Amino acid sequence: MPKRTFRFLAIFVLLCSVSSLIAQQKVTLSGYIKDADDGEALIGATVFVRETKSGSASNVYGFYSVTLPPGKYIIEFTYVGYQPIVKQVELIKNQRLNLEMAGESQQLEEVVISGERVDANVTSTEMSTNKLDIQTIRKLPAFLGEVDVLKSIQLLPGVSTVGEGAAGFNVRGGGVGQNLILLDEAPVYNSSHLFGFFSVFNPDAVKDTKLYKGAIPAQHGGRIASLLDVRTKEGNSKRFEANGGIGTVFSRLALEAPIVKDKSSFILAGRRSYIDILARPFLQDLGDVGLNFYDLTMKTNYDFDKNNRLYLSGYFGRDVFEFDENQGFNWGSKTASLRWNHVFNARLFSNFTAVYSKYDYQLEFGEDARDKFTWDSDVTNYMFKPEFTYFVNNYNEVSFGGSFIYYTFEPANAVGVSAGERIDFSLDKKYNLESAVYLSNKHELSDRFSAEYGLRYSMFRYLGPGVAYEYGDAEPGERKPMTGVKNYDRWETIQTYSNLEPRFSFKYQFNASSSIKGSYNRMSQYIHLVSNTTASNPLDVWVPSSNNLKPQIGDQFALGYFRNFGEGNDYEASVEVYTRLAKHQVDYIDGADILINEYLEGDLLSGDGRAYGLELYLKKNVGNLNGWVSYTLGRTELQVEGINDGKWYPTRYDQTHNLKVAAFYDLNERISLSGNFTFVTGTPTTFPTSRYVVQDILIPYISDEGRNNIRLESYHRLDLSLRLEGKKMKKGKERKNEDYWVFSFYNVYGRKNPFSIYFSQDEDRVMSGEAINTEATRVAIVGTIIPSISYNFKF
Amino acid sequence: MNIRMLIYIFVISILSGACEDTIDVDLDKADPVLVVDAWINDKPEDQVIRLTMSQPYFEQSLPPEVSGATVTVKDNEGKIYSFMEHDAGKYVWTPTAVNPTLGKIGNVYTLNIQLQDGDSYLSATTMNRTAQVDSISFTYEEETPFFPESYLAEVWARDQVGVGDSYWIRAYKNGVLLNKPQEVNLAFDAAFTEGSNFDGITFIEPIRRGINPVDLDEDDDFIPPYDLGDSIYVEIHSISNEAFYFLTEVVIQTDRPGGFSELFAQPLANVPTNIYATENTGKGVVGFFNVAAVSGKGKKLKE
Repeated sequence: MPKRTFRFLAIFVLLCSVSSLIAQQKVTLSGYIKDADDGEALIGATVFVRETKSGSASNVYGFYSVTLPPGKYIIEFTYVGYQPIVKQVELIKNQRLNLEMAGESQQLEEVVISGERVDANVTSTEMSTNKLDIQTIRKLPAFLGEVDVLKSIQLLPGVSTVGEGAAGFNVRGGGVGQNLILLDEAPVYNSSHLFGFFSVFNPDAVKDTKLYKGAIPAQHGGRIASLLDVRTKEGNSKRFEANGGIGTVFSRLALEAPIVKDKSSFILAGRRSYIDILARPFLQDLGDVGLNFYDLTMKTNYDFDKNNRLYLSGYFGRDVFEFDENQGFNWGSKTASLRWNHVFNARLFSNFTAVYSKYDYQLEFGEDARDKFTWDSDVTNYMFKPEFTYFVNNYNEVSFGGSFIYYTFEPANAVGVSAGERIDFSLDKKYNLESAVYLSNKHELSDRFSAEYGLRYSMFRYLGPGVAYEYGDAEPGERKPMTGVKNYDRWETIQTYSNLEPRFSFKYQFNASSSIKGSYNRMSQYIHLVSNTTASNPLDVWVPSSNNLKPQIGDQFALGYFRNFGEGNDYEASVEVYTRLAKHQVDYIDGADILINEYLEGDLLSGDGRAYGLELYLKKNVGNLNGWVSYTLGRTELQVEGINDGKWYPTRYDQTHNLKVAAFYDLNERISLSGNFTFVTGTPTTFPTSRYVVQDILIPYISDEGRNNIRLESYHRLDLSLRLEGKKMKKGKERKNEDYWVFSFYNVYGRKNPFSIYFSQDEDRVMSGEAINTEATRVAIVGTIIPSISYNFKF
Repeated sequence: MNIRMLIYIFVISILSGACEDTIDVDLDKADPVLVVDAWINDKPEDQVIRLTMSQPYFEQSLPPEVSGATVTVKDNEGKIYSFMEHDAGKYVWTPTAVNPTLGKIGNVYTLNIQLQDGDSYLSATTMNRTAQVDSISFTYEEETPFFPESYLAEVWARDQVGVGDSYWIRAYKNGVLLNKPQEVNLAFDAAFTEGSNFDGITFIEPIRRGINPVDLDEDDDFIPPYDLGDSIYVEIHSISNEAFYFLTEVVIQTDRPGGFSELFAQPLANVPTNIYATENTGKGVVGFFNVAAVSGKGKKLKE
């Protein structure tokens, strides 16, 4: 371990021990916080001790712990959208207090003393994060009426996309492959259905999503731009519940129920597209053509005793295109995660996670067995992650642990048969081990000042068996020649990389309603999404770092001002500025061959990235009319030798202005309206200057070799939706079931927002030597208003 | 590449919701550059090298010719072939009784262009062996949701044993060259790309069938490629690996099916060239020089 690690550890130990010296005899109050209605753990509920004016928050499993000198305390538990609970507690020895909080609309018999809302926006050291609960996501107008987690987060500041229908999202100028997407701790390598129109997260199973755009805690690593943490529901532990719906694209059904009341429950949620089923009677001649996508999300949990809980979650989803019995294409992910929460004592909480995650695709083409082509590819990983939180005292919360991931990459298992002759042109599998250890502390230095500092040490090994190629130099932007080959045996190390990733953030609070926060973090990324197309597509391959491909390193600095105003903190506002610098960004030579290419690394280029921006966010949490306004002013650029003459150029997702407005209005008990508006500066693109003809083909020419030298028109769009609740009463009696209709209108004023403009010779056949006509074509992925309707129920 | 194309075509047909319009765009002005179109071969006929200048992208006319140049091709045995200007910008070498064809497999050819203004350009390439057309067949295909009932032509040929052969398969329907960007039919050994090791076997099926014209009617429905009475002639031109990369990029940059396939398009970029300025290297030049060995065969579609 390098010297600076030791220095860091020394300081760390010192800081913690100073804090514990000050502390005398202490006792701890800890427990789990749950939803009173369905038993779901509440993530991020605030625990505030009035006397010490200090607090804590429940973790992702709903566990909290506060350590105080013995005495009498008034403790407030708050959670947005829930009735606060205020408890008077006499702490003599360590005490366990499990709580169930009721939603604001739910009636509780208990007398509730209303406390002041403690607002995490201002008081927490967390910055550059956005949390979207599933209720909010459900309310947003959705494309084709399908509620979608990934489309919803695109309404947050700092988040952009390369366009409608494109897979993934871009955070603060990061690429699609630079986001770590976790579904119950399992990494998801492709989060899209139907290329990019829908995401793989079933809204009926999702509980909570949190996007970290910066200030990523030391606990997480592996991608340089962001972390999207998606948590699924545990399943109703009180009673049986079914949710479902019929939409334009999917029909859905989710079942949840207790297995052992208050101890164990499950949720099983499935969705399937049914365009093919609906279309079949009308399109008899489609024959064997199949097009569908589906997913299944499940989770179950068991409370062994007050100190041990087990969670098992899984996801399985697939997109299927079948042209006929010999030709088709399908892709999908599988994930499974097993988690064990163990409370060692009131102050030491731990979680052990074991994960299996796989993304694969299969292609098959050909006329018959004598002429065909089959290809499958996958990335598989096995992960083990022990994590500990030690609630040292009321002012220090130490997290430590590690993460060990074993990857296998199968770039191509491919066979071609031509006129009965068979050729296997599979590529070798690649094996890697990515491991990391981390230590961090959340430190409340005073009433006003708190900091979170940590360090992550990550290491990546490229292991045998395998062949490592060496490449010679080439002119910038041209294919590098292969100059050497070296064979490695099983478990032999081909290449090792390691990185120290410091993470730091602080908060200084001016008063109860305003604070300033800052953060710095370094992230490293060892696996790379290789994609040279506008939008990422299902065939894009993940490739590990190697002797030729260096890990990506990202540094981010952010500074923000946070302020709440209005009675009871009705309004939350924040201003953040950020700068991101990234090294070893992957780019491609022109004409790079990224599929089934043994010498792919000779086609890759490496460059630097930079991004900076200003994000404004204003949110109204309460009232009949609520919602948010988000604005981002940003710049995202790359510099790669061999592209754009080696000068900085804007990325495809560089957006100068990005304005999003989301509003919700409850008209009356049964009708609520919502709308969102998006305005984004036009996408950078490349236009030719000239044309020339070689062998009767008209070729475009860019005289200055520029990349992304021009912008398309601005993008703007309004979506509206109306939700109509079913009648609560039927024939004078209260109905058991709840149901509602959602009518949504996407792109209300039918704007043809350009996705791209392409240049081509016209389609007519020209005789050799004739003049060829050229044209420019504007493509709008969605060029009209798209109305949709869905019916949803719960019983 | 073609696998992707198939997927796109399928997706486009399923989701024909994307909307397209032809628009007017203002483009930056640029200085014209020399364009060298030098694809010659060993067929016993006139060999043509064209010299033109690039033009603004939307100038819908024949490109300006470059006259008065001296154009020669010299092989490594010292033999010089002079190309004389017949029409403006069209430089022709005509076979003679002594030299009935141009080129010998394995020889290196150097193209030399001397412009009137004193600038000169150079390029070198090797004439590679080609694959022999064995036969051509037609198959009757029933109507499918995406394609009308039709006859599809298929060329049968086998890649030469040994890795690294590149071919450009060019087809003529009723004497007319199929020259659309989406009709460019390339083979690296017997398949699409380098490194796939499809060596020494029959061309893979999409290449064998890549000799069918792609024509749409007014309703954008496919027109049957061949009817009874049509004739086809197929040539296999040997090309250099550099020419293979060049044409691959030409296809990426020019074959734009539009619609949803734009999601997976690659950024617009210049295609490479193998022509170099010998002096005044700052001046731009584009185009390509290749010397091909050609094999060919024809067939008429009869009952």
